[in-house]
Amino acid sequence: MSADVTLENISIRFGDFTAVKNADITIKGGEFFSFLGPSGCGKTTLLRAISGFQELSEGKVYIGGKDMAGIGPNKRPTALIFQNLALFPLMTVWENITFSLEVKGVAKAKRLKRADELLELVALPGQADKMVNELSGGQRQRVAVARALAAEPEVLLLDEPLSALDLKLRQHLRTELREIQKRAGITFIYITHDQGEALTMSDRIAVMREGTIEQVGNGNMIYDHPETAFVASFVGENNAFHGTVSKISAGKTIVNTDAGELEATLMEGSQLNTGDRAIVFARPEAMSFFNRKNSVKNVFKAKVVYQEFEGHFWHLILSGPNDKKLKMSVINSGSSHDYDEGTELQVHVNSKLAVALPYGPLAAE
Amino acid sequence: MNSATILKFFISFYIVLFFAYLFGPLIVMSITAFNSAGFPRLSPWDCFSTEWFGVLVNDARMMAGFKNSLIIGISVVLVSVPIGLAGALLLAQLSNRVRQVYYTLTISTILVPGVVLGISTLIFWDRMGMMFDVDYESFFYDGIFLTIIGQSTFISAYTMLVFMSRLQRFDPVLEEAALDLGATNVQTFRKILLPFLKPAIGSAAVLAFLASFENYNTTVFTIVSESTLTTVLASKVRYGINPSISALAVIIITLTLCGAFVHEILKRREQAKELALKKEEKTVSVKSASRGLLSNPVPVMVLLIFVAGLTTAWMARGYDVQQCKIEVSETKRKHQAELSKIRMVEMEKKLETQKTDTAFPSTVTTKKAAPGTNQYGNIFAPTNLEGQVESEETNPVNKKNSENQYQNIFAPTNLEGQVESIEIDTETLKTPENQYQNIFVPTNLEGQIKSENE
Amino acid sequence: MILWFKKFFLRNGIVLSLYMLLMTFTWIVVMFVLPQVFMFDFSFRFNWTQIDPSKIGGPEDVYTLQHYKFLLFGSPNNPDPFNVVDVTVFGRTILAAVFVTLFDVILCYPVAYYLAQVAKGGITRLMMLSLIIPFWINELLRAFAFRILFGEEGTINNVLLYLGILDQPIDYVRENIALYAGLGYAYILLMIFPIYNAVESLDRNQIEAARDLGSPWWRIHWRVVIPFAKPGITSGCTMVFMLSAGALALPQIIGGPSSLWFTQIIYQWFNTGSNWPRGSAYAMSLLVICVIFVLLIMKVFKVKFGEIGR
Repeated sequence: MSADVTLENISIRFGDFTAVKNADITIKGGEFFSFLGPSGCGKTTLLRAISGFQELSEGKVYIGGKDMAGIGPNKRPTALIFQNLALFPLMTVWENITFSLEVKGVAKAKRLKRADELLELVALPGQADKMVNELSGGQRQRVAVARALAAEPEVLLLDEPLSALDLKLRQHLRTELREIQKRAGITFIYITHDQGEALTMSDRIAVMREGTIEQVGNGNMIYDHPETAFVASFVGENNAFHGTVSKISAGKTIVNTDAGELEATLMEGSQLNTGDRAIVFARPEAMSFFNRKNSVKNVFKAKVVYQEFEGHFWHLILSGPNDKKLKMSVINSGSSHDYDEGTELQVHVNSKLAVALPYGPLAAE
Repeated sequence: MNSATILKFFISFYIVLFFAYLFGPLIVMSITAFNSAGFPRLSPWDCFSTEWFGVLVNDARMMAGFKNSLIIGISVVLVSVPIGLAGALLLAQLSNRVRQVYYTLTISTILVPGVVLGISTLIFWDRMGMMFDVDYESFFYDGIFLTIIGQSTFISAYTMLVFMSRLQRFDPVLEEAALDLGATNVQTFRKILLPFLKPAIGSAAVLAFLASFENYNTTVFTIVSESTLTTVLASKVRYGINPSISALAVIIITLTLCGAFVHEILKRREQAKELALKKEEKTVSVKSASRGLLSNPVPVMVLLIFVAGLTTAWMARGYDVQQCKIEVSETKRKHQAELSKIRMVEMEKKLETQKTDTAFPSTVTTKKAAPGTNQYGNIFAPTNLEGQVESEETNPVNKKNSENQYQNIFAPTNLEGQVESIEIDTETLKTPENQYQNIFVPTNLEGQIKSENE
Repeated sequence: MILWFKKFFLRNGIVLSLYMLLMTFTWIVVMFVLPQVFMFDFSFRFNWTQIDPSKIGGPEDVYTLQHYKFLLFGSPNNPDPFNVVDVTVFGRTILAAVFVTLFDVILCYPVAYYLAQVAKGGITRLMMLSLIIPFWINELLRAFAFRILFGEEGTINNVLLYLGILDQPIDYVRENIALYAGLGYAYILLMIFPIYNAVESLDRNQIEAARDLGSPWWRIHWRVVIPFAKPGITSGCTMVFMLSAGALALPQIIGGPSSLWFTQIIYQWFNTGSNWPRGSAYAMSLLVICVIFVLLIMKVFKVKFGEIGR
């Protein structure tokens, strides 16, 4: 059973501070939806509002079409996995998992059975009688998921559940969580500050900054077609060239930057006008070496500061016009010497992949 | 030896002295419990005897008081633990400003003098009784009820503090998790919070019981016509102290030490468990826990005392108290007979050399310079007569002042010393002074005192 | 305000909210504040219960300052300008309480410091335990222990006589030394723990730094440790003062003829004097003076109320 979640123009204020401003989206039933943003952007507050732990200053939350106003967290069809997991330390694993059944008065035998079933589901067979503090981080993670699933919620909310784990475990659990979601068919609302997680796991992502939702879309959209400067700089790596718009034509624009005049693509519905301040974003993989075959447009000089080898790619850190730090990614072709430190090169920006966006705050380094 | 070392030496010396001050009185008192003499003292040591424990048990008033203390203690626990818990829970949910006021109010219950608490409780329920026009048998006037209420007023603050400190370590997110999983508030409280608080409930209960059991200042006002162990003990001051009090002290000290011992063991086992879990060892053998036990001085000390006690008891088997007492009293009488002989001789000599017969009055030289003013000075505090009593007690063996014997007759209050010795002498040992016992019983002076105060 | 109650009930559910609010209300209001108010009121009434019970509630049952006047000036036939006995006893009680407090501070500070900063693990535990154990033993029994020690035929005298230091036994009771020693002893725990807590949270590095900079030990204490431990010291002093001024058992048991304690007078009014209103007035006066005194201390040492507590 899964339900839609609709946030209707929600604002949440604490005294003078506005944590969430006019959040308005509908999350489809059965979707894996992520809220992505830096710390303090309001995503946890929003999650708690959906669960029922946070009061709204304005707006409504609808779950499964029903208005949740006045309904407490224990009555909502949601289950929340807290950032620190909040497993009950004085109970065993199976007692934790079946807690939601215990409070409903389900008999012990049935609960034990259900606990075993869920432990199978999260790949932790046989751990039922252990105490929580005897488990490792990854195991505890899975117990938390099992516990939430046992409550048979229509919406499962996850508050940065993987942030405390090491890299390998994180990657492993990412896939697992996704699989569990597909199998259970429940709506997952996932919040994180790690865009890699968001991109790999989610059906759709909402990027948030300082209480506002800047863009909603699937991974592809967010990555290739960012709508604001923040989204462009937050998701993935992106080189930003500040400048002013000098010319606008259908779907294209020319921006006057320190790196010369750069041509870039315009987003649909872009509000840019000639003379506006703009930023041209070019991803590392959208930049390449200038060779005679490319047009002379979008070329500028840069010097290699150092190179990072990442197997499939070479990542080059360049020093561009005005000592601007740039990152360029080149597929490993076998010859490494072209990119030694100090090499001066000409860099070409692919105008079809580069995006011009209105000036706005960028994600912090 | 530089100044730092000298300093360290002095500090260590000071610490040792300090602990001597701390334990000295208790140790001395414990030892006096075994001296057969009528008044608790170390020297002169009459005979080793455990008779005072018997006297203690047979003291009906003491036992009645003890029973009441138990009842009150348990009731206070039942009242103050829930209140303290409620208080701590509420405090956690208050905003800063309100919290300050609230906290001040609750802590004030501890700061306000116990006598004020007792008096105000007494008066409040008395007046309430009058307002509701209940009769004297109702609980409004019942000493036990009033004492429970009076004591709980401040003991609840103690329990609240215990719960506060335990609550601080509680992760509030656990409550949210429980709610989120569908539990009601009551279920969350029962299944998540209470189990966490269990150790605190235990500590609070023990603390409450002990605080109630030993309370005096408040109890003495609220207890009205009943009595508790403490009020009985206090009244002993008036009727006379005997080593049964020391016996009581020995029992309580032993119980306390045992309690501390048990507490230590439990705590060590807890710690060992936690340590084992952290290191991810699967089992902790009891052996290793108890090995650690021996390295802790406290249990070792207790064990030693216990062993010492046993050996003494064993050695005492072949030792007859009665025989010893008879011997001692014989020695005393002989000594006294000799002394009186000597004094008679001296007296005659003096009479010959002195024309006036101011001998007697002038020999009534007490250390309290003017006997006249002294006696009336004491009227405001009838219990203070005890002070004189003890110092004036006859001790034939230590007689420095040859006039002591006659002093006793003229200072009526001093006969109290003899009164108490009457209570104690279970055999037919009567020293000459005993004959005057009944004439001036100090309680009669209270009649005087009352009229003075009006 | 109503909003707060609504939110509170919503957050905690009805059962728990009622539990918390009712219990606390009963405690603070019914068991604590109301009785004080009643006592305050009672101290202004005539002693009809003793003199003429029929007059209670009647037209003559009015308020009077009679008892407070008595405390200050004595009975109408008092030849002295004021109630010499009661007032001097009152004053002396307060002074003695101050003295005991100072004695305790000086006595306990080194020990608390030692416990907090110098002693290591196992010894600390042992010392803590040995501090607590004497206090689980009944306050009255401890008072009796002091009597045994300090009496004229008591142990201390015996020892000193035996050692030849004294020719005659000293009457400690009269000299009030017994009482002060007993009072100082009784509240050691309450003085040590606040100071211990305060000193324990002092970063040891600060002391090291001071020592490094060449400061002698006494100055380290004076300038570094004591200012930091001020809240602890103040809280200890407050409690010891209140408890000493309000002590009853100890003066009754080891008090001498010249060290009558004010609480004993209060007790008499209730006991043999049968004048409850007067006793209430006296008790009220004691309470007020204590509170004033404590507030003064807190003001002088700039300590807030919230810092008093175990």
